[in-house]
Amino acid sequence: MEVYEHDRSNTMIKSVSSLRSLAPVLIVLLLLALVPLFSPSNRFLSLAISAGINIIALYGLSVLFGQTGILSMGHAALVGVGAYTAALLARDFDIGFWVSIPVAGIMAAIVAAIIGIPSLRVSGHHFVIMTFAFGQLLTIILTNGGDFTGAASGLDMGKPVTMFGADLDALPRFYLLVVAFVTVSAVASWAIIHSSYGRTLRAIRENEKLAAALGIDVGRHKIGAFIVSGVFAGVSGVLLAYFLRHISPGQFASFPSIYLALMVMIGGARLLLGPLAGGILVSFLPEVLNLDPVQSRILYGACLIAVILFLPNGVIAGIADGWTWLVRMSKRRPAAGNVSEVGR
Amino acid sequence: MNAILDIKGLRKHFGGVTALSGVDLAINEGEILGVVGPNGSGKTTLFNVVTGVHKPTAGTVTWKGKDITGIPANQISGNGIGYTFQQAMAFPGLTVLENVQIATEHSAASTRTDFAWPTPAALLDFVGISGLAREKAGILPFGSLRLLGLALALATRPSLLLLDEPAAGLNDRETAALVGLVQQFPAHGISVCVIDHDMKLMQMLCKRLAVLDFGAKIADGPTADVLHDKKVLEVYLGGEL
Repeated sequence: MEVYEHDRSNTMIKSVSSLRSLAPVLIVLLLLALVPLFSPSNRFLSLAISAGINIIALYGLSVLFGQTGILSMGHAALVGVGAYTAALLARDFDIGFWVSIPVAGIMAAIVAAIIGIPSLRVSGHHFVIMTFAFGQLLTIILTNGGDFTGAASGLDMGKPVTMFGADLDALPRFYLLVVAFVTVSAVASWAIIHSSYGRTLRAIRENEKLAAALGIDVGRHKIGAFIVSGVFAGVSGVLLAYFLRHISPGQFASFPSIYLALMVMIGGARLLLGPLAGGILVSFLPEVLNLDPVQSRILYGACLIAVILFLPNGVIAGIADGWTWLVRMSKRRPAAGNVSEVGR
Repeated sequence: MNAILDIKGLRKHFGGVTALSGVDLAINEGEILGVVGPNGSGKTTLFNVVTGVHKPTAGTVTWKGKDITGIPANQISGNGIGYTFQQAMAFPGLTVLENVQIATEHSAASTRTDFAWPTPAALLDFVGISGLAREKAGILPFGSLRLLGLALALATRPSLLLLDEPAAGLNDRETAALVGLVQQFPAHGISVCVIDHDMKLMQMLCKRLAVLDFGAKIADGPTADVLHDKKVLEVYLGGEL
């Protein structure tokens, strides 16, 4: 009987602690939503919007990489599928933003399945190379798509984002739209992580062989996680197309894919604050340090090496570990001098 | 005796290496069968082929009258065959309770409703590690990790448990505790097949032994007889005493 009590209290503790992991993210996002009140520069808002659009894709990558342990090096291609879906829907069918979101999500999911089914037959490094190759392949298809995809020069997005008849094109409004989408992505990612589905994905990450022995269809779930991450990427792509107003194949090639992987590694993929931190750091660091593109690439490389060596679970996990260590140290010191404690 | 699992003419080649060269083996309902043999004799390969980790080169595996030769690893537990690994016993980054929860969640395909340990808590209690439920499996001492591995295999509600060197790395006290657990399984409707080369353990656990050498079965029968078999003694001791 005692064991059952224990079980119940354990699940209660778990639900509290899982809410506790969501709260900091919501607080940070709430604070970020207040930014337009301080009349920031357009430059700042543009950067923040691009960061936010990346962060949406990063929440998908955190399910894939953080939970399932699969790294995709072609993720920008799935963002591209979303962006091109939105641009084509607007051009050929006069379909606007809000319908594009689910359609692009589905399109990216389909492409993720097409990439995932053959690629996930191999694992580890081989899979990384496969995703990289598929990313390049998509760029080639888009570049050679003739008038349909606008070839190398890409497509224009002629429509604005509207909501309740209001135009959301002004930067502060578009910024708030992106913050709202980041919030939805963060909550969706959180819900996946704390579901039994999330636990299944972690089981695969921790021990594939054992997961299969316990009846988990490892292959199917890996493809599933890749498809889920594709949906996030597709949505991110729609926002990108509506923000940039012009998209071209180069934006979805290998470098943007590497940046996405870099952001999720620097921020940390397992904790909910990780994608937020990674997206913001990588987008703003060159700006804050006033670096040109070549210097910033060098910086990114150095950062990635530093993170892999010193903070393998990302910046946020590193800070959390540092904090626990500090708390433990500060607790230990007074306890050592406390006679009544020693007497116990 | 009813054979619950019937292995016929099972062969497995890895390139030019023959790991199993036509093994026949029947596991009877309600027994604890031991499979022994020197390193490299094909014991683990036998398990891996039965459990779908490897596809056999030839031969059949019949489970309760149904041909299950070469079915995928993740469908084995759904059929009611549980197994433990020599290494890789648990999910190190997850808590002990989460480990067992995952194992119970995916046993839905299993048909057994009359199971002695229906919940994760009951399973942890049975193997005696419920006090560690909230610890990460990765920090468990080796003995507890083996017990967790056993709990995970049990969580799939098997009718047959395949144990791959369940006592490797355990001290005498831990081994005795493990033997105590395994001996209870037949009464709960779980037949057992153990592979190990620890003869002391096998004598404690098994009434029947099968001996593999170079991928072939060289003896099969009551434990006492097998241990005095001429061929077995040759394999183990290099000749008669």
